[in-house]
Amino acid sequence: MRKVWAVIRREFVERVRSKWFWVSAALGPVFLAALVFLPILFARSGGRARIVVVDGTATSFGVRVADSLRFTPVFNVMARSAPRPGLLDSLTQEVTARTLDGFLVLTAETVETGVAEYRASNVSSQREISELKGVLARSALNARLERAGVSPDVVSRATLQVDLRTKKISGSKTSGESSAQSFSLAFIMSILLFMTIVAYGVNVMSSVLEEKTTRVVEVLVSSIRPFQLMLGKILGVGSVSIVQFLIWGISARILLTQRAALSGGVSVENGGSGLEWPQVSAATIAVFLSYFFGGFLFYSAMLAAVGAMSSNEQEARQAQQPVIFLLMMAYLSIWAISSDPQSTYSVAISLIPFTSPIAMPVRWAASMVTTTELVTSFALLILGIAAVTWVAARIYRVGILMTGKRPSIRELARWVRA
Amino acid sequence: MSDPVVVDRVTKRFAGHTAVNAFSLTVPRGIIYGLLGPNGAGKTTSIRMILDIIEPDEGVVQLFGQLGGGRALSARIGYLPEERGLYRKMRVLDVLVFLAEMKGVERRAAKAKALGWLERLGLADWRLRRIDELSKGMQQKVQFISTLLHEPELVVLDEPFAGLDPVNAKVLKETVLELRRRGVTILFSTHIMEQAEKLCDELCIIARGRKLVDGSLSEIKRTHAGRHLVVGFDGSAGGAQQVFADMRLVKKVDDYGQYAELELAPGADAQDILQQLVASGARLSKFELQEPSLHSIFVDMVGPEAARPAVSSDVEGAGA
Repeated sequence: MRKVWAVIRREFVERVRSKWFWVSAALGPVFLAALVFLPILFARSGGRARIVVVDGTATSFGVRVADSLRFTPVFNVMARSAPRPGLLDSLTQEVTARTLDGFLVLTAETVETGVAEYRASNVSSQREISELKGVLARSALNARLERAGVSPDVVSRATLQVDLRTKKISGSKTSGESSAQSFSLAFIMSILLFMTIVAYGVNVMSSVLEEKTTRVVEVLVSSIRPFQLMLGKILGVGSVSIVQFLIWGISARILLTQRAALSGGVSVENGGSGLEWPQVSAATIAVFLSYFFGGFLFYSAMLAAVGAMSSNEQEARQAQQPVIFLLMMAYLSIWAISSDPQSTYSVAISLIPFTSPIAMPVRWAASMVTTTELVTSFALLILGIAAVTWVAARIYRVGILMTGKRPSIRELARWVRA
Repeated sequence: MSDPVVVDRVTKRFAGHTAVNAFSLTVPRGIIYGLLGPNGAGKTTSIRMILDIIEPDEGVVQLFGQLGGGRALSARIGYLPEERGLYRKMRVLDVLVFLAEMKGVERRAAKAKALGWLERLGLADWRLRRIDELSKGMQQKVQFISTLLHEPELVVLDEPFAGLDPVNAKVLKETVLELRRRGVTILFSTHIMEQAEKLCDELCIIARGRKLVDGSLSEIKRTHAGRHLVVGFDGSAGGAQQVFADMRLVKKVDDYGQYAELELAPGADAQDILQQLVASGARLSKFELQEPSLHSIFVDMVGPEAARPAVSSDVEGAGA
């Protein structure tokens, strides 16, 4: 056991000492900071669309719309002008010259027909359009009700805004996670899981390959069992990934708790609009970490075998492709999962060990997962790890001493049976 | 006390061929033992089985009288493989400490010993350098150290002189002799007979996976003595060529004109050849029955195809 420990320590120390570890440790928080601060920066610099309201109404409707728009965080109403010949053309020119972002055209019929026109350089912003629609609908409703003799007081009470708060139900308890948060959480998770499993799995592979090409392995296996050596490597590289996550986690925590201060007082509610920052429950963290380590063990055992059966970098890169594709399948299916987490497909890939390390945490974040499903999925993953490790260890044992051409599938099968 | 290495009729087969066939070997304590054979004879495969790196299909290996296998006893064994290499990106001292830990040496003790060795071989200033910053010769020294650091009782060296520069070859030779003085058993393989002849107390010749002969060097030489003859001529060789061509007397001849090396035919008497040469009119300046060199014994036993590997294998692990 002391020898396994020495292997773990060597893998750990050598990796943590390398500059690549610190580069990626630093890049994580930089990436995260970009995710946090870029939307704030964008929001600050001209995040509000500068528009003009062309008011063709004879009533107070135009005034009301313009005022309401001023209260939204999205629009900056520069002026409210009555229509006159040539106005639309000159406004269009201003938009082209980028001194204006757009203009809203209200006619006398807008209240009745509900038809208005918005011309702008960018009409694909969901946020602007939905805000605009909401303001118009509310204002038109108010105007119609008032015209029908309903007192403004009643109208204002009747049109009190509804605020729909979405909360995910996981198990029997309601969590603090909202649906938008669930999605961004699932999204971030799947990227993190995919990237780290691949990165650290490939680390195990190249470590195996290094010992093979330098022939150090021959000295090693004369004093330690091949299985112990493989285990030590996987655990050593795995513990490096833990440290990496710790660094990322702590820096993320600092960034998120301090972001109001760090972003110079810009209102966070309005600013952080790109991705909503998730409220992460302890259960979610536990699921995420369990599946990360499960997935890492599962895939790094496979990649260790790939390293053992290859005799140089190029060969290994080729041979790793099928393994990476398996994981890629899970990664690409996150869209399917988040759009329908309960479909047969989503449930199936969250149970199969090849895809569950990514699929299950994403499903967990996006919807309700029954305890039975979670337990089954994790049990299958553990069984899968045992099976993959067993096969990988047998390939590893023979492969590390082989040089020359890469073994065929038939030869590999013989190694496993031997 | 039991012999450090006893190999009993081991056989190892690889995909297409038998690399080692019913091979037996006994290495007594405290001697230098040579395992000799052409490339592809099964030397490396035998050594790997002795060290428990691969398992024999048949037969058993006993080390220090125990059946457990080399891995369990690895603390008492030092191994220098034929293909050498170290972690290129690691620091010299760290490599040595790690490899010693693999042999079960406690970390702190390993560090102290490694520093001592580095000092002795003039590498102390390099201890914090990375392996790939060292010259090839220095890397070889580091590898010797890693083989001997844990003070093994049995040292197994696979083709130790291959690829060594002359300085390191001398260091290694002196180290090996020093180890023997301290009672360490050394088993080494080589295909270079001159080295074996100078170093070995006992040896074993193996070809195509089978043992051809084993025993002490002097014993082997004695049993092969008197079969080799050197003849020198003084001007006229007379009818010597006819004599050499007589298959009843001469098995093999290497004729240089004024000088010839002969191997006697089985049952032939050197005196008959002398008489016939004189009768043929040859003027002799030299007629000497020679103790054969290990090289000629080796070539005798293995045959002229000795230089070629027994089986061209695509599995290099099965080679040598």
